[in-house]
Amino acid sequence: MIKKMLIVDDEIEICEFLKIFFEDRDYKVATGFSGEEALEKVASFQPDVVLLDIQMPGMDGLKVLKKIKAEHPKIKVIMVTAVETGDKIEEAMRYGADNYITKPLSLEYLEKDVQDKISLFAKGA
Amino acid sequence: MPQGQDPLSLPKVDYQEILRDVARSMVRLKRPERLLKLITRFIDRTFGLSHTALLILDQKNDRYVFVNSRGAKRLPVGLVKFDSDHPLIQWFCGARKKLSFQKDFLFLSDVKKMLSRAEFRLATNSKGSHLTGIQKAMQNLNIELVIPGYFKETPVGLLMLGGRRNGRHFSKQEVVFFQTLANDCSMAIKTAEYNQSLIAQNRELEKRLKEIETMRHKEQRTYYEIMRSLAEEVHAKEPNIYGHISEVERLGLMTAREMGMELTGPGKDVLSAALILHDVGKIGIPDSILTKPGPLADDEWKIMKTHVEKGAKILEPLTDFKKVREIILAHHERYDGGGYPQGLRGDEIPIEARILSVVDSFHAIVSSRCYRGGRSMEEAFQELQNGAGAQFDPIAVDSFIRIMKKEMHKKGVGSMPFLLENGLS
Repeated sequence: MIKKMLIVDDEIEICEFLKIFFEDRDYKVATGFSGEEALEKVASFQPDVVLLDIQMPGMDGLKVLKKIKAEHPKIKVIMVTAVETGDKIEEAMRYGADNYITKPLSLEYLEKDVQDKISLFAKGA
Repeated sequence: MPQGQDPLSLPKVDYQEILRDVARSMVRLKRPERLLKLITRFIDRTFGLSHTALLILDQKNDRYVFVNSRGAKRLPVGLVKFDSDHPLIQWFCGARKKLSFQKDFLFLSDVKKMLSRAEFRLATNSKGSHLTGIQKAMQNLNIELVIPGYFKETPVGLLMLGGRRNGRHFSKQEVVFFQTLANDCSMAIKTAEYNQSLIAQNRELEKRLKEIETMRHKEQRTYYEIMRSLAEEVHAKEPNIYGHISEVERLGLMTAREMGMELTGPGKDVLSAALILHDVGKIGIPDSILTKPGPLADDEWKIMKTHVEKGAKILEPLTDFKKVREIILAHHERYDGGGYPQGLRGDEIPIEARILSVVDSFHAIVSSRCYRGGRSMEEAFQELQNGAGAQFDPIAVDSFIRIMKKEMHKKGVGSMPFLLENGLS
């Protein structure tokens, strides 16, 4: 089974680092550096799980999340946040985010959580 | 384990010099981040590693975060953390003395070796899973060697080094050098924390002192106001000296200015207070003496004279006004030394007290005190001049008369309400 993951963050370095990290674990990884790009990639790449930064210039993570969940409810979305965005986390969970992770993050936890969401996706849950 | 100890393979680095530099900057820097970044940058440049990173303890959140990461395999700073219970952190915690070799640095190659042995014996126990966790973490970050910097028993910083780009192993000398740097890092972190807490404590202390100062000031202000109204009350008992207090204050300040005294800030406040409060000690003088119409008997005079000491005593709580007390105590001293209570003479008498003596006497002369009739201005000036050098400081007398004449010329006698009141125009 191919595990497909989309990583969205306006910091290119973060995208690149996490891309290599997950590719080493046999994921097929696409990246997006903005909300608009994220939506294009969701349509063209059809990921199982999206790692989505909340705070981005332009279209932010919350708007992207709403659109993904509206058009592709089965795709699992994990929000990535900074500590200061507590109120946004609540909003994201209301919009149907499947989990959130706070930066700085534990790679072990991230890997496990992504794996969990992939399993859920595979079950069609 | 250090390997490949070929001295020729070492980069040309003057370790001693570098360590001295680091130690020097450590003392100077209040914020350690710069030094920590300096150290990682230095290692990155000098040794050509795939990854050089520094992880430091964030005690408040019980985790370790990266302050810097350099090299081809670098991490985005701020993305990754290690919780304190992470196997890699745990490896360096606890009773490190017993296992000093393994706790002072850790090579990925050693972890792999231990795991290959442990596969048979330890695969199911916690040490086996710990080692697996450590191996994974080091591989995730492309780290070959981890060197902790301790403060007491706690690793406060971890230097994480990737492999050499040329594949060469680290020498023992290099590992010792890295250990020294790692310990410098933890020292810098701890020193900075200590400085920060000192600064915070100092600030708190300063704030408290200021609050206390404000309170004290307020209290003294209140006390001063009470004294002022008491002083006015005292004079209210003595008939026919309308406006004595405010006039003495005004004339005194005028004279002082004429004599070239600096009249701003505390200096003016002190003189003002002394002029206003000079007779506050009369609170302690019986009314029978204070308001007696005829001349006082000797024993009555004796009591009357105590008002200067009584005044100084009453004002003791005004710690800001030590000088005021001195002036009040000396305002019945005579220039020739024949005054009371101490018999001071000339310059021994504070200049403010000499001025006060002149204006107080003048006001007494021109006022219709109960035991004298009011006298004309010229007569009053004459009496002051007669006393110059004996009762009064001649310079104070001259200055006073000069400024009075100037004032009268400029504004007319009308500028002196008490004179009108006493029919002296």
